[in-house]
Amino acid sequence: MTATTVDTNAADHDDHDHGPTKGIGRWLFSTNHKDIGTMYLIFSLLMFFIGGSMAMVIRSELAVPGLQFVHPEFFNSMTTMHALIMVFGAVMPAFVGLANWMIPLMIGAPDMALPRMNNWSFWILPIAFGILLSTLLMPGGAPAGGWTMYPPLVLQTGDAFPFLIFSVHLMGLSSIMGAINVIVTIINMRAPDMTLLKMPMFVWTWLITAYLLIAVMPVLAGAVTMLLTDQFFGTSFFLAAGGGDPVMFQHIFWFFGHPEVYIMILPAFGVVSEIIPTFARKKLFGHDSMVYAASCIAFLSFIVWAHHMFTVGMPLTGQLFFMFATMLIAVPTGVKIFNWIATMWRGSMTFETPMLFSLAFVFLFTIGGFSGLMLAIQPADVQYHDTYFVVAHFHYVLVPGSVFAIMAGAYYWLPKWTGHMYNEKIGKLHFWTSTIFVNLTFFPMHFLGLAGMPRRIPDYSTQFTDFNTIASVGAIGFGLSQLIFVWVLLTAKKGETATDRVWEGSHGLEWTVPSPAPWHTFTTPPKARIANESFE
Amino acid sequence: MDELERKQRIRRTTLIFVAVALAFYIGFIMMGVVRS
Ligand SMILES: [Cu+2]
Repeated sequence: MTATTVDTNAADHDDHDHGPTKGIGRWLFSTNHKDIGTMYLIFSLLMFFIGGSMAMVIRSELAVPGLQFVHPEFFNSMTTMHALIMVFGAVMPAFVGLANWMIPLMIGAPDMALPRMNNWSFWILPIAFGILLSTLLMPGGAPAGGWTMYPPLVLQTGDAFPFLIFSVHLMGLSSIMGAINVIVTIINMRAPDMTLLKMPMFVWTWLITAYLLIAVMPVLAGAVTMLLTDQFFGTSFFLAAGGGDPVMFQHIFWFFGHPEVYIMILPAFGVVSEIIPTFARKKLFGHDSMVYAASCIAFLSFIVWAHHMFTVGMPLTGQLFFMFATMLIAVPTGVKIFNWIATMWRGSMTFETPMLFSLAFVFLFTIGGFSGLMLAIQPADVQYHDTYFVVAHFHYVLVPGSVFAIMAGAYYWLPKWTGHMYNEKIGKLHFWTSTIFVNLTFFPMHFLGLAGMPRRIPDYSTQFTDFNTIASVGAIGFGLSQLIFVWVLLTAKKGETATDRVWEGSHGLEWTVPSPAPWHTFTTPPKARIANESFE
Repeated sequence: MDELERKQRIRRTTLIFVAVALAFYIGFIMMGVVRS
């Protein structure tokens, strides 16, 4: 396969090009990275709304003190299911969807390296979440012991227990297969002159994310396998009565759990690193240092897990190690934030919807980062642990962090996917309502936590009423704001026709193919150099 | 890199990472066995 003589976009004159098959078979048996990417994104949006409606139940119940709408047991199911659905069903599949769509286009590959496994890793997901959601109807109710599934509490789950374990196994399997696909694609399918350090940041952050996934999803699977055998096969991995150690579950879970938060934020860093240069009309400041920073974050994410367990009891040396290691993560994260700001410095910026979401990401994710630093301080964490301060912290990281980056990416690449510009006015409306309401929802939770309100409770003392009411109003507003996004999607093909380049400042191979991107692209490899010329 | 070589490399990288994933899965369960 010699690539030196062909032009960038060979899809138009590819002699064996064929379109998709008709009907449902196109989707059921799809091996096309764009179709699978689309399915991932739609699935993720669906889960976002299901998980979101559970958040609405939670916030309605907490709007005023006392028990109003649901039984405490069901409330606990809602917090547990909301977390599992948002983490594994909404945020992770959204990034896998973006990866499927954009990685082959960005590296000049005709498709993912393992297209049939790609089909499997998607179709396992609806099965996994079908099983998980079906537990809502089972005797004993849906899992209610928290998404962290700590034993011995989780072993009190009713009939839902084995279904919870099986669905977590399936989610893990899907993620591992997706991650293997991403790594194998990036390693083997790049355009001939795209060296590793020439890869766009989104590809880089996804490569690092995929390594994290392969290391930690099997660990989660191992942890829940041990829960299963403890419950049904007489082992006592985590049962103190049989010589087991319940704290060991927490260690194993968080060995998965902490890298998991980087799995949900590194691709977000990648998306933002694509968007800010485009709308600042400057090259990304410090591309290579971004790569090293992301690698550092990935490495550090493996040696900080016990900061989730500061109150469980551990030697002083352990507390000090995990405290300082955690604080160290602020350094590479600071490098990234510095680089984004330096990219914008003296750029000619415009503020289209993707840029607005990216800017909000930089500001609001940083708030979540700072509260994370506060939580890392072990003596202070004894006070914050299991309070709403923690809830405020990780929602800042995940909602105006990961979710805003997903939204930014969706608006940024939507014209490439549909061939039409979305409605900018409605997009901006979506941005501003989301940003106002997200802060209204989660900022008061800091105060609630500092005042001592515990998390995962359906009722609270009356002194917490005001901030809870504000948070509930914000949550309903944020939920309704997302309907604007659905409107944007439904009208996505009504806008003016998009050019191939779409954005004035865009750069990279994905902008050299037509809009909408044809079903097959780069059947002959492009020159990566062409994509960078606009900046060099 | 010709098509055959690419296929072989894809197969090799896939197998390596499947092995890594399995090692983590079995390794952590074995750690549980040893520690309980
Ligand atoms: Cu952590």
